[in-house]
Amino acid sequence: MSAPGKTEPIELIAQARTGDTQAWGDLYRQYAPAIFRFCRRAMPTREDAEDATMEIFMKLRDKLVQYDASRSFTAWLYKIAANHCWDMLRRKKARHDKDMDDITEVPLECPEPNQLEKLIEERTGEEVRRALDKLGLRARMALVMRYYSDMSYDEIADALGVRRQFVGVVLLRARHELRQALGESSALAVGGAR
Amino acid sequence: MNELEMKLEQTDDPCLDEMTLLLYAERQLDREAAQRVSLHTQTCTRCLTLLRALDRESRLLTRSMLEQDEPLPARLAEFHAQVKRNMQWIWGVIFGLAVLGVYELYANYITPVQTQLNDAGFTGSSLLSLVVFQGAFWKGWASMFGLFQFLAVTVMVGFGLFAFRRYLRRGSAMAAVVLSGLSVLLASASPATATEFRKSDTVTIKKGEVITGDMFLAGNHVRIEGEVDGDVFVFAEQLEVSGRISGDLIGFAQTERISGVVDGNVRTAANNVTITGSVERNVTAWNESLNLDSGGKIGRSLTVGGESVVLDGKIGRDLLGFFKNGTISGVIGGSVRARGEMLSISSGAEIDGKTKFDGHKEPSVSADAKLGSPVEFTKVEHKHEARTGDYYLWRLIFTGTFLAFGLVLAGLMPKFAAESVESAGQVGISFGLGVLVLFGVFIGSLIACATIIFFFVGISSLMLWLIMLMAAEVVVGGVVGQWILGRSDEFWKFFLRVALGVVIIRVITTIPFIGFWVALAVCFWGMGAISLTLYRRLQPAFAPNIPPAPMPPVGMSTPLPPSTTVGGI
Repeated sequence: MSAPGKTEPIELIAQARTGDTQAWGDLYRQYAPAIFRFCRRAMPTREDAEDATMEIFMKLRDKLVQYDASRSFTAWLYKIAANHCWDMLRRKKARHDKDMDDITEVPLECPEPNQLEKLIEERTGEEVRRALDKLGLRARMALVMRYYSDMSYDEIADALGVRRQFVGVVLLRARHELRQALGESSALAVGGAR
Repeated sequence: MNELEMKLEQTDDPCLDEMTLLLYAERQLDREAAQRVSLHTQTCTRCLTLLRALDRESRLLTRSMLEQDEPLPARLAEFHAQVKRNMQWIWGVIFGLAVLGVYELYANYITPVQTQLNDAGFTGSSLLSLVVFQGAFWKGWASMFGLFQFLAVTVMVGFGLFAFRRYLRRGSAMAAVVLSGLSVLLASASPATATEFRKSDTVTIKKGEVITGDMFLAGNHVRIEGEVDGDVFVFAEQLEVSGRISGDLIGFAQTERISGVVDGNVRTAANNVTITGSVERNVTAWNESLNLDSGGKIGRSLTVGGESVVLDGKIGRDLLGFFKNGTISGVIGGSVRARGEMLSISSGAEIDGKTKFDGHKEPSVSADAKLGSPVEFTKVEHKHEARTGDYYLWRLIFTGTFLAFGLVLAGLMPKFAAESVESAGQVGISFGLGVLVLFGVFIGSLIACATIIFFFVGISSLMLWLIMLMAAEVVVGGVVGQWILGRSDEFWKFFLRVALGVVIIRVITTIPFIGFWVALAVCFWGMGAISLTLYRRLQPAFAPNIPPAPMPPVGMSTPLPPSTTVGGI
């Protein structure tokens, strides 16, 4: 996770923490699009993403006083967002992923490197997003946390409630699912025996 | 040395596995292991290619996710703009209309039936009224409830539910607790003043014993020889009442015999019921056989359901019966409304009111029987007779029609159809909304049609309502199909799921009795899902004057995942 940088509106955050409504409004307007996009990638429906975005900011407003200014605000915000989205999904009992036992036991076939390269070359962002929608919720959530908000393995493990050692496996499985979803439309076989 | 490092060291396979390469690409290996991977990838083309592919895959993922394909919705434009103010009044109107619809149904359909049941004995402490209308909450309020007060309170409750809908939809425990608490408060019956419980193999209230207050009795043999000044609830194999009960008797027993006096009502479910004594008010009995002895008396009405009903004694008012074989040879002060296989009215019978019988065979009426009017007989046809030939042919035709309609719907409006099916996945909200729309829009449209100004609006709404009603089954079929075959966005695969779901629903709705309720539920569910989709589509999609996010998410300044520039790449 990146350290607080010049891009973070430190002054604005500090003002918002003191209860300045104008500052809070500005802060919201700055971060809402990115958080909405995060939720949109993580949640199954647009409506859920909208609800989640609003609730995340409600939570943020309550927790803002707890924010440790020595840490990255963006990273902290994404952590709240990830935890909230995952909680929402869990509460909805909509997790369709397999148990962790399966994750550890089911072997994954190593892809043929050239075929994988070809698959990646041919795919557009829109196709990837469509394929993401087809993934299991945990797989999608893991990919979003890692590749959208750049969360560390520790943070992902914490948010998903899995052991750190499993995060790599979760991500790898998610990639395999994604490749399968991407390959479905073109019937491109990516997997192959090592 | 961890497991992975050992693996790296010990493996005979010259190539590294994908997991190792991914962890390396993401800088999750320790320095030593990373160096080994780095060295290996400098000499192994295959692993290097795979490493690059993984890296590019990471970039593709990040780039795809960061692309701004959707603007921020208008409702999120401002933090305080989350309340959908512009649409709230529509919900209010719909709910108000739905309330009117329910009231109309209540006034025109339920009340007459209730009156009939009332005449037949469902009065006072009937279970429904006991539970719903005699709760502590209602005490003293009943007189204040005119139509408008009722509507006002109902609308307020509706708005309250609306306000809590977000929590309800999310299954909030707090909302559930609050609403459950309110429901319990509304529905809970008045607490009994003094209640006595007795449970034993044989429970006897001896002759001369007087119990004041309600009683719960449970045992194999329950005998009431004494006097109970209150209601009695009995669960027993054999129940005998030879004493006196000044309240109601509610009994569940195999054999029940009332030779004493019950001043209140008798509600019972038993195999055999024999009444040789006196019940001053009403009797409601669901049993295999009921025998009202010649010496037996029911002060008011009798409602009975069972296989065999023999009535030799006296009934003060009406008889409402559902039975296989019924015999009347006693006196009935009111009318008779019966349905069954066979009814016999013998010579000693005396019926002051009308006699109506719906049955399979014409009733046998003795010439000596004294009847207020001739027996009105309606022959009942067997249901399965109506379900042969034409019935199934029409079911088949309708199924085909629905499939064709589904095909048209999915073909003309594929996105809308898919969204509706997705909305139907939210069963609770779809169902609830469907209840409102089914009644509310229909009644609203009729009212609009009655006015000159809004006539065309009313007609249009009615047409839309009708189309939604037709489409409801298709939408629910879609979601059922997806449950079975999984989700698919491709047209024909999507239609296949719709078709499968529609066929399943059609088959289920063919089942007698259950079918009707399933069809009704499908209407609610499907209409709700379509309404939800329409509602979402009515929401403004763009947020005017919202600047793009000035600050990218973490890592956007370096759009790659942070640790992808690894050895040799």
